[in-house]
Amino acid sequence: MASSNLMVGLEIGTSKICVVVGEGRSDGTIKILGVGQTPSRGIRKGEIVDFETVMKCVHEAVVDAEQKSDVMIRSVYVAVAGSHLQGFNNRGCVILPEDRDEIDEQDIEDVKINAREVSIPAQNAFLHSIIQHYHVDGQDGVLNPMGMLGQKLEADFHIIHGVRTRIQNTIRCIKELPLDVEDVVFGGLASAQVVLTQHQKDLGALAIDIGGGTTDYILYVDGAVKQSGCLAVGGDHITNDISMGLRIPMARAEKLKIEEGSCILGNCLPGEMILLKDDSGFAGKEIERETLNTIIHLRLRETFELLKRRLEEEPFINYLGAGIFITGGCSFLNGIEHLAGEVFEMPAHIAHAQTTSGVTSAVENPQFSTAIGLIKYAQAVQTDRPRRGIRGIFGKIFTGRR
Amino acid sequence: MIQLSKNYSLPESAAEFIPIKIVSVGGAGLNALDRIVLDGLESADVVAINTDVQSLSSSVAAHKVQLGRSVTRGLGTGGDPELGYQAAVESADEIREALTGARIVFVCAGLGGGTGSGGAPYVAQLAREAGALVLAFATLPFAFEGKRRNAQAREALDRFNQIANAVICFENDQMGDMVAPQAGIHQAFAMADFTISQSVRSIVNLIQRPGLIRIGFDDLLAALRSRNGRCLFGFGESDSDNRAHDALTQALKNPLMDRGRMLADAARVLVQVAGGPGMTLSEVEILMQELGRHVNEETQILFGTAVDGRLGDRLSVTIISSLAADEDFISQVTQPAQASAPAMRSTWDQPKENPSKIDSEPEPAATPVETSTAEEVAPVEEPASSEVAPSPSPPSPMIGKPEPIAGMQHRKPMIIKEEKAAVEKSSHGKQEVLQFEPVTRGRFEKSEPTIVEGEDLDVPTYLRKNIKVK
Repeated sequence: MASSNLMVGLEIGTSKICVVVGEGRSDGTIKILGVGQTPSRGIRKGEIVDFETVMKCVHEAVVDAEQKSDVMIRSVYVAVAGSHLQGFNNRGCVILPEDRDEIDEQDIEDVKINAREVSIPAQNAFLHSIIQHYHVDGQDGVLNPMGMLGQKLEADFHIIHGVRTRIQNTIRCIKELPLDVEDVVFGGLASAQVVLTQHQKDLGALAIDIGGGTTDYILYVDGAVKQSGCLAVGGDHITNDISMGLRIPMARAEKLKIEEGSCILGNCLPGEMILLKDDSGFAGKEIERETLNTIIHLRLRETFELLKRRLEEEPFINYLGAGIFITGGCSFLNGIEHLAGEVFEMPAHIAHAQTTSGVTSAVENPQFSTAIGLIKYAQAVQTDRPRRGIRGIFGKIFTGRR
Repeated sequence: MIQLSKNYSLPESAAEFIPIKIVSVGGAGLNALDRIVLDGLESADVVAINTDVQSLSSSVAAHKVQLGRSVTRGLGTGGDPELGYQAAVESADEIREALTGARIVFVCAGLGGGTGSGGAPYVAQLAREAGALVLAFATLPFAFEGKRRNAQAREALDRFNQIANAVICFENDQMGDMVAPQAGIHQAFAMADFTISQSVRSIVNLIQRPGLIRIGFDDLLAALRSRNGRCLFGFGESDSDNRAHDALTQALKNPLMDRGRMLADAARVLVQVAGGPGMTLSEVEILMQELGRHVNEETQILFGTAVDGRLGDRLSVTIISSLAADEDFISQVTQPAQASAPAMRSTWDQPKENPSKIDSEPEPAATPVETSTAEEVAPVEEPASSEVAPSPSPPSPMIGKPEPIAGMQHRKPMIIKEEKAAVEKSSHGKQEVLQFEPVTRGRFEKSEPTIVEGEDLDVPTYLRKNIKVK
C-alpha cells in the first residue's frame, strides 16, 4: 500500500467473506473506500473445513474489494473466530530493584511478559493480552504507570488465546493468495471497536456479535475488557433448526428466516400462515408463522441464556451502564434486541459501525461490523506504532498486540 | 468403615499398602480376572472362584477355590442361581480362608448365570462379615441372552446393592455398541472384559497410589452412591505433547461415559489425575477446566491427584461417577450385611415350586458368557410371564424384610419381578432423556460437535427441550 493510512480488514465468516478497504484520518475517524464480499463456502462454525475452497472465496472477495475501492491490496488485518478461542484474566507483577523507584517502559513490558506466564494448553497460542488496569504499590486503577514512583507494579490483563494450528490455517489461507497478514484479531474484539464508543466501554457494555456460525461476545467494564469468548452457535443453527422443524430445504429455511423470521412470540394472528411458493425440486408449503417464530425464539433464547450463565461469573454483569449491543448478521432478526433485553434484564440495542464515513450503506450494516472494526483496530495500532510511548485512547487498550 | 487417611502426604513417604483382593466368581468373572492378571496388576491379590472345575483349571489366577464339591460335583450350575448359592454356602469356609487379610475386596461377576448370580453375592457377604470393604463389579447380560437371564441378573444386582459397599455395573449391551457391528462376537465379550479389567486396575491404583491429594475409599463410595448401581467410568492415559487433553478425551470415550454427556446428570464425580514427576499444575488445571465443561454446576467434584514415578511421561485420568445418586441409600449401604442376609436366604431358599422348569433350562455350560440364542430362551420366558399375570400382588414394602414366612415364599419372586420391572422402566425413562444419538444434527452432522454444559448445541433447541413445534 502506498499510503500507510490505507488499511484493509478481512473477515472470513461462516456465511460470507468480506473485505473492507478503509482510510484512517488524523482526527481518528475512518473513511470506508470500498467493500468486497462473497458468500463463503468451506467454513463451518467460523473455522476452515475446506482449505482450497476458502482460498478461492477469499480471492474473489479481495478482487471485488480492489475493483470497488480502486486500491491494490497487499496486506490485510484478519479476524478469527471459533469456539477454540477463550479469554481469561490474569495478573502480572514485577518488583522494582532497590535502587530505583520510578517505573519505566521496561517495567511495563516486563509486567506484561509476567502476566503471560500462565498456563494455556500446549497447543494454544496467545492472540491478545489486553491491559485492564495497573496497580502501583497497591494503588488500584492506575491507567498509565509510566513515570510513577513505586516499588511494586502489578497489571491485570485479559488474555485471549486459541488453538495455534487453527489460527495458522487462516493465516496460511491468506498468505497463499499471496497477501501479507498484518495482524490477527479476535472477531469480537474487532467489532466492539466500532460498535461501542469509548464512553460506552467506560460505562460498561456487552457487545454480542451473532454471525453465521459463531457468537462472539466481549464485556467491557470501566473501559477495559473483562471477559470475552466465542460460542459456536450462530445463524446457521437457526436455519438448521427451521429446516429440520418445518422440513424444508436449507436454502428455503435461510430465505424464510431472513424474510419472515422473528423471535417475538404471540405477536401474530392465530393460524396466520406463510405460503412458500413452489420451486424446482420443492413442492411448496404453507407453514404457521408462530411455529417459525417459536423455533427461532427458542434457539436465540437459549444462546442468550448460555451467554448470561457464562458471564454471571463476573459480578458486574448487573451493573452495565450502557447495556447490550448486538451486531452481526443475526441482529437483523426481528425483535432480537427485545429478547436479549428480556434475558439479560437490561436494555439491548442493535448496533452497527459508528464514527466512520464513506460508503454509508456498508457502515450502517451490522454484517460488516467486524471487518470495519478491523480497520479501526488497525488505525489504533498504526497510530501507536510510530509514536511509541504516547499512547492514544486505543493504543492503551491494544498494547497487547501479538 | 475403614477410614483411610486423607492427610497430605509426600509421594515418597507413603509406603502404606492396603491389602486388596480381587475375587472373581463364575465364568464371566474368571474371564475378566484373566484379563486383569494378563494386563498386569502387582498391588492386589487375585482369587478365582467357580463351580466349574474345567474353567477354573484353565484360569491363570494363582489362588483358586472350587465351589460346591458335593452340590455340583465339579460341573457348572446350569444357569441356576439357587444351585450357585448352595454351592457357595457349602464352600463357605474355603471362601473365608481365601479372603482373610484383605481390607478391600473386589468381587467381579457376570450376572445372569448360576454361579455369578447366586454365588457372588454370597461371597460378597462373607467378605463383609470378615470386615472388608466390598466393591462389586457386575456385568449384566446382553439383551439377546433372554429375559430370564436378565431377570436373574437384575435380582442378583439388587442383592449386590444391599450387600456391597458399592456396585459398579456394566451393561454388556452398552459395551457391545463399542464394537463394530461386523466384528466377531468374541470381540464384544473381550471389550466387556477389557473394560472391567481397566476399571479394576484403575481403582486399585487409585487407592494404592500415594496421593498429593489423596482419594480414599470414602470418596470412592461417595462417588458411587446410587440405587441402581449404574455407574459412569472413564479412564484415559496419554504421553503426547498435549497429554492432559488427550487423556481426558480418552477417558470420556469410555463406553460407560457416552462422551461425557452422561456426566451432566451426575451429582458427584470423582476424578483422579496421576502422572510422573513431570506433571505440572497447569496440566491438571487445564484438564479440570475441560472436564468442568461436561459437568453440571451443582456437581460435587471429588478431586485427587497423585505422582507416581512408574508412570514416566504418561498422565492418566480416572473418572468415576454414578447416575441418579440417591441420598437415602447411603444409610442402607453403610449398614453391613447382617440385615440383608436373611432376606437373601429367603429368596434363594424358596422351594423349587417348579423344578422341571429350571431343570429343563437348556444351558449346557456354566460360563455365563456363553451365547444363548433367542430360541433357547423363548420357551422359558413364557411360563414365567403367564405366572405373573394372574395374581397382581400388593407392591413392594415386603421386599427388604427378613421374614421367611412360608406363605410369603410363594409370592415373593413375583413381587420382586414387579419391582424389577419398575426399576427397568425408570432407567429406560432416564435414557430417553439422555439419548442424543438418534437425534439428527442436520447440516452439522459431520462437523465437530458444540457441546456446552453437557448439551449438544447443534441439535435444534426445540428438540432438546422437547417442545412440539407442529
